[in-house]
Amino acid sequence: MGFRSFIHHLTAPRSKAKPVRGNVKLVCIVNQSLKMGKGKVAAQVGHASVESFLRTGRTHPHFLEAWLSSGQKKICLKAKDDVAFEELIACAQEANIPFHMVRDAGHTQIPSGSKTVLALGPYLEDELDGITGELKLL
Amino acid sequence: MALIVRADLNLSAGKTAVQCAHAAVQCALEARRKHARLMERWRRTGARKICLVAENLASLHRLASEAQNANLPYHLVQDAGHTEVAPGTITVLGIGPAPRRSLDLITEDLSTL
Repeated sequence: MGFRSFIHHLTAPRSKAKPVRGNVKLVCIVNQSLKMGKGKVAAQVGHASVESFLRTGRTHPHFLEAWLSSGQKKICLKAKDDVAFEELIACAQEANIPFHMVRDAGHTQIPSGSKTVLALGPYLEDELDGITGELKLL
Repeated sequence: MALIVRADLNLSAGKTAVQCAHAAVQCALEARRKHARLMERWRRTGARKICLVAENLASLHRLASEAQNANLPYHLVQDAGHTEVAPGTITVLGIGPAPRRSLDLITEDLSTL
């Protein structure tokens, strides 16, 4: 630590955010019933990740910090259909986990408004595992 | 935003998706710092993303330098190597968000994934 940062360390106001304990990850859940191609899935997961991390930055900034500085762990799971999404969203809302549901504009492959990918987090790995524990890896 | 995947690694669908998401997030972070207005316009108009394929690492590097010359935000994703590939492998190149015309100039020869 340099001299200036040492002084800053002593005098800066304490951050209000509680430090995050435990690992933080982002989970993307893909709707398998739409049978999207590999590239389509990748783009949709990209949409979900970007929107979800931007939202987390507004609502849970300390989780975003922890995620960005710990290698941005992401994981991709699959769900049978969009009914499964409803349950996951309900759980996420209850536990105050940030999420984003991607609805496709329908330019390619699938009808407009289809629910393609649900992103949960970045949030505590243990809590996310509690919700998504039964889902398989994509 | 274009997400360009290396064809020679034969990544699984899930791995590809996650690597593309890494690229998209990094590009968005950089664009928010350096091209805030373009970033907002891109999000308002549906945050268009497209996945393309490039042959190998050399083609990713070539595309990355073209993006750099054109002053577009870009990011090369280097995998930590916990699964499928060796640590440090470069998997995906993300370019953008950028105006469609300048992106098309760089990526017109590539096919979609």
